[in-house]
Amino acid sequence: MTVQTKPPAPASATDDWAFAKFGIGQPVPRTEDPVLVQGQGRYTDDLQLPGQAHAVVVRSTHAHGVIRGIDTAAARAMPGVLGIYTAADLAAYGTLKCGVPLKNRDGSEMKKPLRPALAGDKVRFVGDPVAIVVAETLLQAKDAAEAVGVTIDPLPAVTLASAAAKPGAPQLFEDVPGNVALDYHYGDSEKVAAAFAQAAHVTKLSMRNTRLIVAAMEPRSAVGVYDKAREHWTLHSASQGVFGLKGQLVDILKAPPEKVRILTGHVGGSFGMKATVYPEYVGILHASRMLGRPVKWTDDRSGSFVSDHHGRDHEVTGELALDKDGHFLAVRLTSFANMGAFLATVGPLAGTLNAVKNVASVYRTPLLEVSAKCMFTNTTHVSAYRGAGRPEGNYYMERLIDAAATEMGLDRLALRRKNHIRPSQIPYSASSGMTYDSGDFPAIFKEAIDKADIKGFAARKRDSRKRGKLRGLGIGCYLEVTAPPNKEMGGIRFEPNGDVTIITGTLDYGQGHAAPFAQVLSAQLGIPFHRIRLLQGDSDELIAGGGTGGSRSITASGAAIVEASAKVIEQGKAIASHVLEASASDIEFDKGRFVIAGTDRAIGIMELAEKIRGGLQLPAGEPQSLDVKHASESVPSAFPNGCHVAEVEIDPDTGVVEVVTYSSVNDFGNLINPLLVEGQVHGGVLQGIGQALMENVCYDSDGQILSGSFMDYAMPRAHHAPPIGFVSHPVPAKTNPLGTKGCGEAGCAGALTSVMNAIVDALSVYGIRHIDMPASPARVWTAIQAAKQGAA
Amino acid sequence: MKVELTVNGESRLTEVEPRKSLLDCLRDNFNLNGAHAGCEHGVCGACTVLVDGQPVRSCLMFAVQADGYAITTIEGLTPAPGELSVIQDAFCETHGMQCGYCTPAMVLTAHALLQRNAAPTREEIVESISGNICRCTGYGQIVEAIALAADRLSRANAPQGGAVR
Repeated sequence: MTVQTKPPAPASATDDWAFAKFGIGQPVPRTEDPVLVQGQGRYTDDLQLPGQAHAVVVRSTHAHGVIRGIDTAAARAMPGVLGIYTAADLAAYGTLKCGVPLKNRDGSEMKKPLRPALAGDKVRFVGDPVAIVVAETLLQAKDAAEAVGVTIDPLPAVTLASAAAKPGAPQLFEDVPGNVALDYHYGDSEKVAAAFAQAAHVTKLSMRNTRLIVAAMEPRSAVGVYDKAREHWTLHSASQGVFGLKGQLVDILKAPPEKVRILTGHVGGSFGMKATVYPEYVGILHASRMLGRPVKWTDDRSGSFVSDHHGRDHEVTGELALDKDGHFLAVRLTSFANMGAFLATVGPLAGTLNAVKNVASVYRTPLLEVSAKCMFTNTTHVSAYRGAGRPEGNYYMERLIDAAATEMGLDRLALRRKNHIRPSQIPYSASSGMTYDSGDFPAIFKEAIDKADIKGFAARKRDSRKRGKLRGLGIGCYLEVTAPPNKEMGGIRFEPNGDVTIITGTLDYGQGHAAPFAQVLSAQLGIPFHRIRLLQGDSDELIAGGGTGGSRSITASGAAIVEASAKVIEQGKAIASHVLEASASDIEFDKGRFVIAGTDRAIGIMELAEKIRGGLQLPAGEPQSLDVKHASESVPSAFPNGCHVAEVEIDPDTGVVEVVTYSSVNDFGNLINPLLVEGQVHGGVLQGIGQALMENVCYDSDGQILSGSFMDYAMPRAHHAPPIGFVSHPVPAKTNPLGTKGCGEAGCAGALTSVMNAIVDALSVYGIRHIDMPASPARVWTAIQAAKQGAA
Repeated sequence: MKVELTVNGESRLTEVEPRKSLLDCLRDNFNLNGAHAGCEHGVCGACTVLVDGQPVRSCLMFAVQADGYAITTIEGLTPAPGELSVIQDAFCETHGMQCGYCTPAMVLTAHALLQRNAAPTREEIVESISGNICRCTGYGQIVEAIALAADRLSRANAPQGGAVR
């Protein structure tokens, strides 16, 4: 095992009495695992509601075209068919919306074409939904869907963002000239230009950040239920938080909030993808209203490849200006970001604002400029995927640094050290507008270099060469801006059976929130860990909720739980004063007990809850229970950071790249549960390795997706995963009560950079300066051959 | 048409269309939801069940083809109500799952491995789960779980002269 975890710094004064086994910082196994490991998880498709009908979506097979007709007559006559719905049937509902409030560089509003749930006049990508078929059984619905005749006059298609910007490119929307959704700009162009003009050296790289399939193992699924008597809608669906999803759905259904309920059970992975309303949900809710029955829809994997939003897909020119000593003067990104055929809810964010926030990373970079054209193309819409701009920003910076070091003849470690923000400079106002509250970047860098045994690399490289392999070492420093601000709920409810329920609006889709949240509550209130439950997936229970995303859950829900706990204590003191017959002001809360100060008279919080359940009579005007429904204000963003070091071996005869060693030192602030944090790093790193080495969405010139199944789209498997070293080097955040920073996306940020830098390092013997992701065998082999021929 | 399937040691008669997959039959007809549809083209392994002890993609097998074989699903692996198998327990202990969607298939695959190889090497463990995609864990803690289970099982078997390497 390669795990090493430092004990966290004390999270609060209450730590000394937290239960040793389940306290903050303990590697507590997850409470849901015994359920999941027996196959007893309740994912959406496991639901079988009485009277449930089944829906199948008819999708466009053309990337771009005008719909001339949809013939449903034959399909309607088929066995078991209950209804077929097209755009005209859904005309009364609202459209899917983009919630990003960015503006064009000239101050004008960005273009946000309305997206109805079903395409009516035009189709704009392969997979664009045009009809929904509902039948008694799934197989009947599939048969009927094949009988729906959709006549489309094809139009030329464009799939690459830069190509969509060219004159004469196919136009997706009449009112979006040039396909530009958003012409984004950040920074002071004149100052940045002046810095570049004065620079002793400028490094420039063109980088393609690959388009990816999110590929959560559970395909999306939903069950829509309309209750005519109550005029009430229920959507059972995976999500990343039911509060936000409900807000979107209320808007689309044009229904009062109290008439819409979202229920989320177990979620089989999401990585940013299941956070929002998708067209199918609107379709099945409508069908349920028409048919008076629950209607279920579950995607198949072929559908997922075109219907789930994709990730990344940026074409970037990165430039780094340095003075003669190697000090960074400015960084400039000029890019195209592919939005696909519609703007997803947070679609434009990754290539714009999140690139700004994350590119500066752990370095003193006085000036920063980002220009990004967010383009419509005839492809599936693009949105958040593990990191959503964070790994991308860090990747651009780290590649530029390695390239600059090579060009200037500087040591790449020394160049990084020279530009690291020092602890004495913190709080540090970055050129991104962010203020870093904490961090010790030089110390983490040193520890990472030591752990990776960089001194021994030359010997390992010789050994690889003896075996005919090229070896490279890559460094990936990262700093991510996590926890996008949002209100979060901290609900605490003392149940009739003696359990205590945490109610919060983040939503665990595999991370395992129940144990760490219970660890936090247990530490705050002394409630036994095993009595604590987590309720997260019922919108009727929530008064706020920012959902899970941007590595925010432990920070946002953690703060909400801490604040709610303080309210429980306040209420408990008032109630305990009646039980203990003392003034509330004389009562202190200590180690799970309400104590009359200076005496040994006390009552435990669980005992007090039991007395309340037993009918304790309390005067009017006093709290009547310990229950709290609290909504915390936004917690500030946090800045997890670290340094990952990867070594690769490349077979020059085949171009096959293998990641042979991987180590990481990470500052996630205080760890609540290091076991789960390590799991997040492992998963993130392998997703990063997947992008670096193999994952890639390809389209042909007609806009057909060529990588539309797991046969064609390479996914990382067990043999692609090196043993991953994980070290925690916590520097607690100062901006939230638990001192956490968030860990969910960091693995990707560290892996993209360290693995790609290692590959370029290995290939540098051929004079290769850069290679784009994915470094597939074909691409690496071709690059080697081209370099050899160039040199010959 | 009618088929009689032996699932988790129990003979069950049911009606299926000839084109219905074993996966859909287990889920729809028998309400055994532990086998999950991940890709329906035999590549991801999430639907793995054991057929006569061998891991099989239940999405690629018709229910009617399963007639006459002994089918084991994740629901049949638990030794007794409220108990976990050694392998299941190891998955919980090492954090060998995140979203849990691929997990039943991983556990069944590991079970089949340890039935035929009581002391697998790391490479053998990796090879055995190479047909199962997990998007969440990065596999490290799954491999660790299987190694831990193998170790515990070999210790438990040792007094009876079981295979210990």
